[in-house]
Amino acid sequence: MTAACHTGLYLPIECEILSVSELTPAEKLFQVRRTDGVPLGHLPGQFIQVSLLGWGEAPISVASSPTRNNFFELGVRRAGTLTGAMHQLKVGDVIGIRGPFGRPFDLSRMRGKDLLLISGGCGLAPMRSLIQYCEDRPSEFGRISILYGAKNPTYTLFKDDLAAWNASARFACSLTVDNSTGKDCYSGNVGLITSLIPPLTFDPSKTIAAIVGPPVMYRSVITELKTKGLTSDRIAVSLERQMRCGVGKCGHCTIEHLYCCQDGPVFWLNEVEHLRGAL
Amino acid sequence: MKILTPNKVDSFFQLLTQKWDVRLPIVLTDGTRVISSLGDGSIALHGGAVSSKPTAAFFPQHSSVFISVNGLIQEQTTPGLPIFVLGFTDRDLECLRFIDRFFANGLRDDIYFTLRSNAVVAGISGYCGVNGALLQPSSGNCDLEFFWDGCRWLIIPYSGAGNEIVADLPDSAPPEAIEAFKKASTALPDENEKILRQASELLRADRVPDSFWSEIGDRCISCTGCNLACPTCTCFGVQDWRSSKTIERSRMWDSCQLDGFMREASGHNPLGTEALRTRRRIHHKLAADPEKWGDISCFLCGRCDKACPTGIGILAVAKELVARFA
Repeated sequence: MTAACHTGLYLPIECEILSVSELTPAEKLFQVRRTDGVPLGHLPGQFIQVSLLGWGEAPISVASSPTRNNFFELGVRRAGTLTGAMHQLKVGDVIGIRGPFGRPFDLSRMRGKDLLLISGGCGLAPMRSLIQYCEDRPSEFGRISILYGAKNPTYTLFKDDLAAWNASARFACSLTVDNSTGKDCYSGNVGLITSLIPPLTFDPSKTIAAIVGPPVMYRSVITELKTKGLTSDRIAVSLERQMRCGVGKCGHCTIEHLYCCQDGPVFWLNEVEHLRGAL
Repeated sequence: MKILTPNKVDSFFQLLTQKWDVRLPIVLTDGTRVISSLGDGSIALHGGAVSSKPTAAFFPQHSSVFISVNGLIQEQTTPGLPIFVLGFTDRDLECLRFIDRFFANGLRDDIYFTLRSNAVVAGISGYCGVNGALLQPSSGNCDLEFFWDGCRWLIIPYSGAGNEIVADLPDSAPPEAIEAFKKASTALPDENEKILRQASELLRADRVPDSFWSEIGDRCISCTGCNLACPTCTCFGVQDWRSSKTIERSRMWDSCQLDGFMREASGHNPLGTEALRTRRRIHHKLAADPEKWGDISCFLCGRCDKACPTGIGILAVAKELVARFA
């Protein structure tokens, strides 16, 4: 039985690709604008459903801050059929989007605090939205530390941004890679991202941490942060799930009673750490 | 209270087709009893709850989201006639109430409500179950109810639309028929509801060990029959179908019992074992939904227990769970 229906909730909005640049051999950055000129209207931490006709939809985090220009950016790793097709697109091509969806970083609770912004792998894409937001509103936040870990130097995302943040007095930047071959002209830290936390000094009562990265990263990073005295109500985590609809209906992103696409993807740790399979 | 005698059943529903897209229990040529359109088979109101989920009237197995022709997305029109659907038992009506709330919550699902809005839902009850067994009357949470007293259908309208549909039927129900309805309406205690609540409490208290789910998972053959038969299962996948000139985006029922249900593009799979998937199916109904909605989302319609070839429908699992851990 097939039902034919008109629906607004699931209809994509047309967007134009303004630029495409290669971040790594597996990741590209797309600068995108709605063709009707309307701003995306997102907040750091939110995601959109990217729609390619014939390929379906995939959830992609917004990698740029709403404080910047009349476009938005998407860092896309080639991981499946849709993202593979997206990597073939060029300037002027049209994509569809729905959203923005989900719960963003809790900026109201972050304001006035020192921030530890910790990301791994392509988790830097959504974190970049928050970093840019803090960069553009310096009076609203305290000291900001950026911790980033990549698989290796080749797969380090946003190298230009990282260099700029590293050079900026606004940020304290700590970077590491899991592995370095020695042939990649890399002279920085080698080790897991958890190795960047013990040397840090911060006041847990005035600090909020945010974590975005691959699932394997969370528990070990959280353990290190708790060792430093940071409590679960001061640690925000952005969780990756397979959001198919983005509107809390399809069921693919549930974490016990929570729908990651609507109740998250950003949660306070004390909301999810007791839930099976959350971390 | 109106009366519909057996010899007037066919003509009554035939007349309704002038204003309604009529769906009701029928028997297909292969003997399967389903809720379907008049004309797909002979009317079969007797025989109890149909084996397929009645909520499929509003959440069909396959729904079109949109069609794109030569790259342009075309808006689609709504179905011509509103739906009249008969065949919801009292438990099915509770399931419908639950998913009505689910699809309305937050961002309202307009695909669901395109079909659900303006629809008329008719409950079925009385001595028309398997071999004449009693189907408990509803609590009135439908537009009208068809109650079989053993000789005739008594029809009780509960809404304006329900009243309109039966306005031309005679309303001279004999006293014994009214008495039969009142007697049947007295709710009987259900031991299975007690078991389900106990199982729910055990799950919410985290008193069920992982080893239990491993045992249950070992018995699952991933046929997905439980999900496909369940009136409160609402999970769906979204896919594009390509032909030479058109692309149709549609959604289709999905099952949390399949390995790929939650697998992410990165390869990470939060439900990567049958034990986790089986736990998710039961836990979702008995623990997660009570946490989110305040209600257990299994209303004991019995379909998954009948569908499961290995005996791990929700009631069977709940009974095992209570027997071992209560």
